[in-house]
Amino acid sequence: MSLSVLFVKILEVMFVAGWIGSAIVLVLTGVEDVGTLLDRKDENSH
Amino acid sequence: MSSTSNAPTGNNRVRIVVATSVMLTFISYWRAAAVILNDLGSSAFYAGGIAEQAIGKSAPWFVLGVMLFAFAVRAVYVESCSMFVRGGVYRVVKEALGGTLAKLSVSALMFDYILTGPVSGVSAGQYIAGLINDTIAIADAHGWIPSAVHRLFHGTPQVGVNGTAVVFAIAVTVYFWWENIKGIEESSEKALWVMQITTVMVVMLIGWSLFTLFKVGGHLPPFPTLANIHYSDESLGFLKHSKLPHMFGVLGLIIGFGHSVLAMSGEESLAQVYRELAHPKLKNLKRTAIVIGVYSFVFTGLVSLLAVMLIPDDVRVKVYSDNLIAGLAMYMAGPQVVRLAFRAFVVVVGFLILSGAVNTAIVGSNGVLNRVSEDGVLADWFRRPHKRFGTTYRIINLIVGLQLFTIIVSWGNIYTLGEAYAFGVVWSFVFKTISMLVLRYRYKGVRNWKVPPNLHLFGVEIPIGLASVGMVLLSTAIVNLFTKSVATVSGIIFSVVFFAIFSFSEKVNRRKHADKAMQMKEQFSLQQAESVERETVGIRAGNVLVPVRDYNTLNHLKWVLERTDTKEQDVVVMSARISQFGTAAYGLSTEQVFSDYEQTLFTRAVSVAEGFGKKISLLVVPARDPWSAIAQTAHNLESSAVVAGVSSKMTTAEQAFNLGSAWEAIPEPKRQFLLQIVQPNAAVDTFRIGPHSPTMKNEDVVMLHRLWLKITQEPGLENVHHHDILTEALTRFEKAYSERDREEIVNELRQNANSGPLPIRRIADQVPTVQPDAARPDREEAPRDGNPPIPSTTNN
Repeated sequence: MSLSVLFVKILEVMFVAGWIGSAIVLVLTGVEDVGTLLDRKDENSH
Repeated sequence: MSSTSNAPTGNNRVRIVVATSVMLTFISYWRAAAVILNDLGSSAFYAGGIAEQAIGKSAPWFVLGVMLFAFAVRAVYVESCSMFVRGGVYRVVKEALGGTLAKLSVSALMFDYILTGPVSGVSAGQYIAGLINDTIAIADAHGWIPSAVHRLFHGTPQVGVNGTAVVFAIAVTVYFWWENIKGIEESSEKALWVMQITTVMVVMLIGWSLFTLFKVGGHLPPFPTLANIHYSDESLGFLKHSKLPHMFGVLGLIIGFGHSVLAMSGEESLAQVYRELAHPKLKNLKRTAIVIGVYSFVFTGLVSLLAVMLIPDDVRVKVYSDNLIAGLAMYMAGPQVVRLAFRAFVVVVGFLILSGAVNTAIVGSNGVLNRVSEDGVLADWFRRPHKRFGTTYRIINLIVGLQLFTIIVSWGNIYTLGEAYAFGVVWSFVFKTISMLVLRYRYKGVRNWKVPPNLHLFGVEIPIGLASVGMVLLSTAIVNLFTKSVATVSGIIFSVVFFAIFSFSEKVNRRKHADKAMQMKEQFSLQQAESVERETVGIRAGNVLVPVRDYNTLNHLKWVLERTDTKEQDVVVMSARISQFGTAAYGLSTEQVFSDYEQTLFTRAVSVAEGFGKKISLLVVPARDPWSAIAQTAHNLESSAVVAGVSSKMTTAEQAFNLGSAWEAIPEPKRQFLLQIVQPNAAVDTFRIGPHSPTMKNEDVVMLHRLWLKITQEPGLENVHHHDILTEALTRFEKAYSERDREEIVNELRQNANSGPLPIRRIADQVPTVQPDAARPDREEAPRDGNPPIPSTTNN
């Protein structure tokens, strides 16, 4: 395996693993966001 | 004068109180979202077209992916703001990785900011040129173009799209250059208004597109697989002749993602508005993040998708790649004239939001450079204020010069501009996220929120969420280095040049500041205070506040000192250190707030006071808006009067109106005070700030008296006073206004207002006590009897 191919493989692993983790971030923060939106306390919409 | 005054101390040093907290007016999360979306939303006008030119018809999936991923990037910003109130890239990187990398990251951020202007201006120009050409083409198809014109142009007359875009972009940039030199104030009101109009357009666009899809049908773009990604000649950059992009499926996805990443430019504004968000700050920041996330996902993501579904392939890239939304408007179901009218509406909205982004670019770059300049990273020479307008004109000139150079060199090529733009966007995110990762282990202060999920193994926290976002960004940024040759070369040159300027300036400044510190020690004693309080400044209530800006115009200070016995009433000379939009996102140290300029200004002020043999107190206040700074300082110091000089930019009534508006924004309870504006000829305009007894017309006084005469005839009402009648009348008026007669009252007031005085007097009514000048009934000549015109207390 050449160095450039290895480099590309590392980048690909980073990207895929990063996206899987980011998807978890999206789900967890999404659930929290729903709570934030439903909480009308202290809301100031001026 | 109290013994703690800021007069020369025993060792002849003058004490100056330097407030280090920026005085801000707080805004709601809706307004904050509007400010950010003016930048973030503008990319919808060009991001989809640029991505499709690079990677083909499956581009909308990548744009949607970027907009989805932007939610995760937002979480990084929320965490950084939960740690630092001013959590911008520079602050976070400096805290985590040190000054050198902070300078490098801010260079990348500057590349992003500076390119925002050209890319937005050129895009707006492309939309306008496209509309002109299509309108002429339609007119020609109907035979409305005279044959002579036809012959003259050897066919249908058309304007050069790129040339027109360049001319337009230059005109808009020059316009905002001048506005920024004059020092326009950024208004969240204006941003909200632009976003309201944009929302109308987005709703119409999506609604009409869905109706068209329902009526004529459409196909989803091909899914983003290696087979469906069609790289253009430019989109592979240094990998043009390499087999790698065609060998690996995921690499193709990273390349596609990298070409679409500019769709989330503008996220950095989230950290910049945080400082100005109203309480509860973190919750409101999250709400802002949700609003901008959903809005940009729908606008940028969905519109890119609909464009590919509705605009035929043969014209989409060829004709409409630079004005995709305009193309979408032209391929809706409906009569041609209605489609053309809607397209004109799209162009108007595009003009508003993209022009706003040109301004944001200048304001943002100015803010960042001001900030680094305050940190000694840019020579003080750049920060020297404009003689007339007080703005940092040299920094503005530098930014606009670079933007004009970029516009001309690119010659309206939006693709090249967009590709280069992505360099700054992605690298500033990379620096920020890596720094946040480092700070997970190094930062020991308060952190109110963390990007989830976080795993705990043997007492060590593993920030899975944060690391994941960092990995996506870093892999994309690295691949972009190879696939975006223009961006890589121009971005690196730009960043290296800026980095060199920063490093060189820092070295020079360090030496210079050492000398300055020595001088300062001999002359001034700086006392740092988090906020402005009467006790901190060491003055009594009922003092006179004198805002100063230009050391050449201190006439109003002389006027005050001539008439005030400082043994009885304290005089506070205040300089508002204006931080541009974005600068508030960063922390300020005492030395940053009290610069060379303030030193010269206060040296002059002290010399004036010494000329009168009187003592003054000195105060420097950092602020976003001078009016808020003056109003809040007068309120905090319990000043009875503010005495200001005449502005070069507005009338005295406008000055009073601005101060009155700032006073209205201060939460209750608050004190009223008097504003006196001293003209160069020593004439004085006097205004009362805050609620006060109104000036009554003679006929109203007569009417009140007539009523009083009648009412006191009634049995049992002999002891009624005039004010009792006014109270009863106002109570009834308030009831009628809040219940049934509101519309009628408003109409009547509107009629009266049209024939009455300027509405500017709503808040800051002028005091017509002395009327020497018939043309200016509010003009009060400076008294010549030697009595101080400034009351020690104001009782309205």
